[in-house]
Amino acid sequence: MTIMEAPHATRRLTTSKAMVEAIAQEMERDPSVFYMGEDVGAYGGIFSSTTGLLEKFGPKRIIDTPISETAFIGLGIGAAVEGMRPIVELMFSDFMGVCLDQIYNHMAKIHFESGGNVKVPMVLTMAAGGGYSDGAQHSQCLWGTFAHLPGMKVVVPSSPADAKGLMTAAIRDDNPVVYVFHKGVMGLPWMVKNPRTVDEVPEDEYVVPIGRARVAREGSDVTVVTLSLSVHHALDVAEKLAPQGIEVEVIDLRSLVPLDREAILTSVGKTGRLVVVDEDYLSYGVSGEVVATVADVDPGLLVMPPQRVAVPDVPIPYAHDLEYAVLPRQDRIEKAIHSITTR
Amino acid sequence: MSSLVLFPPLSKETPDAEGVLATWFVSEGSTVVPDQLLAEVQVDKVAAEVPAPVAGVVHLLVAEEAVVRQGAPIARID
Repeated sequence: MTIMEAPHATRRLTTSKAMVEAIAQEMERDPSVFYMGEDVGAYGGIFSSTTGLLEKFGPKRIIDTPISETAFIGLGIGAAVEGMRPIVELMFSDFMGVCLDQIYNHMAKIHFESGGNVKVPMVLTMAAGGGYSDGAQHSQCLWGTFAHLPGMKVVVPSSPADAKGLMTAAIRDDNPVVYVFHKGVMGLPWMVKNPRTVDEVPEDEYVVPIGRARVAREGSDVTVVTLSLSVHHALDVAEKLAPQGIEVEVIDLRSLVPLDREAILTSVGKTGRLVVVDEDYLSYGVSGEVVATVADVDPGLLVMPPQRVAVPDVPIPYAHDLEYAVLPRQDRIEKAIHSITTR
Repeated sequence: MSSLVLFPPLSKETPDAEGVLATWFVSEGSTVVPDQLLAEVQVDKVAAEVPAPVAGVVHLLVAEEAVVRQGAPIARID
């Protein structure tokens, strides 16, 4: 009998499958991890966040809940306080309104109000973002709101590999972590085709540290600081502009809390030009925070005024053309870059 | 010896139903191991994963987004 070495296979996954793999590996490793939410069992998550987990782990660890977000998020907080590591899914970030008290007054504050004696090692997952005509109440990002309220970490992956590593990091973190996945990065067969949602993912478990940005593309002329699906759009624009002699550096924030301000300053220090792209609302949010990060430390780093490409302060339209007009897509990103690079 | 990979039967009521090759997870000519995820296919709103039945070098017979009849070959593994 001949012993042959297994052929090396480069394994590619969608973001949703990478996220599920991280959850499964942590559930195998740690019996205190469980997943709870609406349609997370037999349905597998309406955006494929839990596909196959019920079959693998059974209904005691993959728990379908009634439509009562305050109750089941509170249940998750209680379980976390008692030493378990729950992952609780708020189906859409838009639904935060019905259960925000549990999130920002309890999940985020118990550790502080107990003088650091009580930990809440919970992950709150949720889908975000638009682009598929789901209307004003199902298309928002709102990650800036979670990041604004103190006491929770906020991670927002853009790639399959980061989705897996950040999920592992979030589950193992002793703090509450809000894990926001944009529906457009998940690689769902029924969404708009996006080749950047399928990529190589290491099979073994690993951690992507929370709070560290990633240089998604190096460039010397202008810095685009962005996150989640907008990273894909920014990379599209960077590839289009390179032959025109404009080298765009794309910074994928990956985490909003903690925010990797050092990565922003390093890149802007190199290029002198800043475009912030965020699919959340323009005012009082992530894009303002990124610009303030530079202004607080050294506004002299900027040779041109910073540009912000975000959703204008209006509810997201249902009509396809109007929705695309407000989303920070390739056309608006390219225009913003040209406005500060063309002499 | 080569092995054909078929579009899985997702609709029992209509055996000749057509589906879509939604996503290829491997590229033409790549080496695969048994059970490695090759593709995700879709009939109506039902999606299914297609794993590699055997090890070998994979050749893609249909393009992404292509409409394929259930049971038709989608790849060959040599």
